Amino acid sequence: MITVEKLNELGCNTSEGLERCFNDEEFYLGLIPEAFSGERYKALDEKVKAKDLEGAFEEAHAIKGVLANLALTPLYDVVSEITELLRSRTDTDYSPLLNKMWDIKAKFDAEL
Amino acid sequence: MKEFMENRLKIKRKVLVVDDEAVNRKMLEKMLEGSYEILEASNGREALTVILDNQDTLSLVLLDLLMPVMDGYELLSLIENDVNLKHIPVIVLTSEKSAEVKSLNMGAADFIPKPYDLPEVILARVNKTIQLYENINIVSATQYDELTSLFNREFFMEYCTVIDQYYPDTDMDAVVININRFHVLNEMYGRPFGDELLKKIAASVKGYVRENRGIACRYHADMFYIYMPHTDYIEEIFRQIVTDVSDKLEDAGGRIRVGIYPRVNRRLDIHRRMDCALLACNSIKGKYNAHIAYYDSEMREKEAYAERLMADMEKALSEKQFVVYYQPKMAIQEGVPHLTSAEALIRWQHPELGMISPGHFIPLFEENGMIRKLDRYVWREAAAQVAAWKNTYGITIPVSVNVSRIDMLEPGFIDEIMNIVKEAGITPDEYMLEVTESAYTEDSDRIIEVVNDLRSAGFRIEMDDFGTGYSSLNMLSSLPIDVLKLDMRFIRNIHTNPKDLRMVVLIMDIAEYLNLTVVAEGVEFKEQYELLRQAGVHVIQGFYFSKPIHPDRFSDFIKERIEYDNSREA
Repeated sequence: MITVEKLNELGCNTSEGLERCFNDEEFYLGLIPEAFSGERYKALDEKVKAKDLEGAFEEAHAIKGVLANLALTPLYDVVSEITELLRSRTDTDYSPLLNKMWDIKAKFDAEL
Repeated sequence: MKEFMENRLKIKRKVLVVDDEAVNRKMLEKMLEGSYEILEASNGREALTVILDNQDTLSLVLLDLLMPVMDGYELLSLIENDVNLKHIPVIVLTSEKSAEVKSLNMGAADFIPKPYDLPEVILARVNKTIQLYENINIVSATQYDELTSLFNREFFMEYCTVIDQYYPDTDMDAVVININRFHVLNEMYGRPFGDELLKKIAASVKGYVRENRGIACRYHADMFYIYMPHTDYIEEIFRQIVTDVSDKLEDAGGRIRVGIYPRVNRRLDIHRRMDCALLACNSIKGKYNAHIAYYDSEMREKEAYAERLMADMEKALSEKQFVVYYQPKMAIQEGVPHLTSAEALIRWQHPELGMISPGHFIPLFEENGMIRKLDRYVWREAAAQVAAWKNTYGITIPVSVNVSRIDMLEPGFIDEIMNIVKEAGITPDEYMLEVTESAYTEDSDRIIEVVNDLRSAGFRIEMDDFGTGYSSLNMLSSLPIDVLKLDMRFIRNIHTNPKDLRMVVLIMDIAEYLNLTVVAEGVEFKEQYELLRQAGVHVIQGFYFSKPIHPDRFSDFIKERIEYDNSREA
């Protein structure tokens, strides 16, 4: 079970995320697993690899929005970087950024 | 409104949150659920279904832009282009600056940036937007006339003022449209017919007025007001409107009238400007081939004159500028014509404007209600005059005064008139009351009751303007009257039109049967006099014998009467 302390240790700005939830810790923490579940991360990875940069941008943008609202900073930073490259449809090697995303996500997943 | 709905009706407004991310939806729900009922949708298409199901009760849509199936832009466009949905405000949720501008230009009410601000800030923005749109929607619902969809009168006047503020140097035209006999058409053909007619006029007006950047309203019933920038083609525009509606209208026996006040005087307030157009419109009320009239300098002068008279009324009454003149009524059937009574007629001796005839000021007194004071002034003066003549010449010359329907329906009227007579020191049989025939047509039972009481008290009653109303023979026999006064219209052409003469002869037969005295007024020529005498009319009043004269000059008639009485005795 993830805790606010754990999230802080992972580098999240939990006070900002909590403020958006009326400082209701239980509610806030209840949203965290949802931010990591789903098919979005996988879809992002696949669309980037398939060079569907438009589709990939939409996935990245959606993930970024959730991470920003919950202030899950470390993962937000990397997804944000991917989003900006995809926004301009930059044809580059996204593997390092995607790997970094997966690594950070794994750390969070381990705490869920 | 918000307080009323929440506290009184215990209703929570509905807010739809549209976002493909459940986490974002839940966070907004958490922020707003204390104040609002939250509906959710995860894409534009789902949202559209929810909106259509709740279009009358939905207070706000919070809309994410990038979503699968149908994105936020597409949904926003659908909402803004649907007349039934565009009253629902949309706040866009976005992290993109460019999206903020684009969505506001597309009709979004506001935007909420992502990541979300503090819940208090979001709640405040949501509250503000809902309140603003509710006010706009209330205003929009109340500013139109339900039947015609033109502005209602209050908003029309308000918008005229706004136009004046924003375009102070633009020449403007004020126009009034009215329909002759509209109430009759409504009664004859039914309300739906009348409503259709009004809608047709409104549709025609709307088209032309909008084309010319003007505004229009249904002022009331069958009257339309228009305010538009001046154009040299204004007559053509309104002639076209007349043509558009004339077929339907004229088939039914109606007629449209248009009054135009071109290049209005901005120093007059908007109500006065429209009044000027109305004056023009009313100037062709009886002219059956005229559809359009202009407010011109003649009307302006007339109106300025009327305004002056209205302003001077109070002072004139207090300074006794009103003088009661008397017109002799001459008995013509026995011996030489001789004075039998007189009618009291008011004149205004204005210190600056000279002698003013009642035709100019009585309608103004009736309009502002001061006629009541003026009537009582005449009643008192006339009673005092009867007493004065009686004292001076030892003879009673009864005087008749005009009494309106309104006077007679007033509580205490009989006591009031009795007091006036008593205070003057005369008796009711020395005083006559003239009641117009038309006074009997409404509340006739009540009027007849009052007239019966007056006759029981000793007053004699003359039915004035007989022939202008619609008394049936049956009604005439039951009316409590002593004298019939033939309307001037029968007399005017009696010497040239045999039909008029025949009518008078017929009335004389009826009067004889009912044992009524008949007075003919407005007699000017010898030929008229001779014909009326031969027809058996008892009393003549008119310029043939004398115009209404000042009481000082009336003594000659009284002296002649005394001589007549003496000669008969001798």
